[in-house]
Amino acid sequence: MNRSVFPLSIALTLPLIAAAQIQFGSLDRTTEAKRQHVELLTDSLQLTANKPQDVELRFRVEPGFHINSHKPKDELLIPTELKLDSGSFQIANEQYPAGSHFRLQVGGGEDLDVYQGEFRVALRIDAPKGDTTLSGSLRYQACDNAACFPARSLAIKVVVTAK
Amino acid sequence: MGRRLAVLATMTGLVAVLFWAGVHNLRHRRALSEANHIALIPAASTSSASDNSGPPDAQGSNLRGMDAPAFTLSDISGKKVSLSDFKGHPVVVNFWATWCGPCKLEMPWFQEFSAKYKGQGLEVLGLSQDDGASRDDVASAAKKIGVTYAILMPDEAVAKKYGGVDYLPETFYIDRTGKVVEVTAGAPSKEQMEALIQKTIAAGGA
Repeated sequence: MNRSVFPLSIALTLPLIAAAQIQFGSLDRTTEAKRQHVELLTDSLQLTANKPQDVELRFRVEPGFHINSHKPKDELLIPTELKLDSGSFQIANEQYPAGSHFRLQVGGGEDLDVYQGEFRVALRIDAPKGDTTLSGSLRYQACDNAACFPARSLAIKVVVTAK
Repeated sequence: MGRRLAVLATMTGLVAVLFWAGVHNLRHRRALSEANHIALIPAASTSSASDNSGPPDAQGSNLRGMDAPAFTLSDISGKKVSLSDFKGHPVVVNFWATWCGPCKLEMPWFQEFSAKYKGQGLEVLGLSQDDGASRDDVASAAKKIGVTYAILMPDEAVAKKYGGVDYLPETFYIDRTGKVVEVTAGAPSKEQMEALIQKTIAAGGA
């Protein structure tokens, strides 16, 4: 291939790849994220090493949806539950926020205790020195005003830097 | 040189058009994705097999106008129940789960209408989607909700035949000939539900 055309071909191919990614790739990730209906907002924590400290993991429920609180009113409902792999951490004192009232507007309606928008789960953590990943999952079950999705698990991965 | 420039200009134009189309397409699909979170998809709406505007997981709407997929499941007493047992009857196949609030609120309406339209042969089947739940758990929930129509235990293969059923409640209205007349994802109003039942009864002839 002519040397003067080669860089131009590359320059023209790159936008083509970008266009293809937009066409076929990005939405899949967006859709997948939306299908979760809950996202983890905390991606890192800065702590003092080998000292128990209170931290919070922040989550956000997609607008228009709610998930059951940790203590839903009906025993048949699936509670929101955080499960962390302790690994090299010492984790204690998990505290869930109180839910907020939500009236399900179907027929006679039903009063629910839910998380909407942002919510935080507090815990006490003792981390070793250095960078370590805190991992686990948040199990929850999301609904909108008229329908529900099966329970899902959101992967938790938070980089803990302890000095 | 002139020819080379013309080729490059054409290629540049093509890339620009592709890029624009990609961005336009992405925006359009994102808008649809947002719209998908509208909970109720009225069965009588304009959505069809070729329309992707239903809720994200309600692929069952593709079955509208087609033969309802056959199934045989165990009810909460362990008895085998097949869809084909109800040939000649209008049938409501309602996918629900014990953890689904809207399901529990609409199910008493199915109970009421199953009695009201019994004379026209209406049958209601409640297909639990409680994976891992025991018969006793499902039976206990059905009793608490107050329904006495057939409650069937889950089978993922059946849910797949009906489009995945990942958005509850999801209901298939099947006429006497076994064709799916309407599909709803999300709880409708009681009036909408009754209208769909009447339509289903009328669809297959008396």
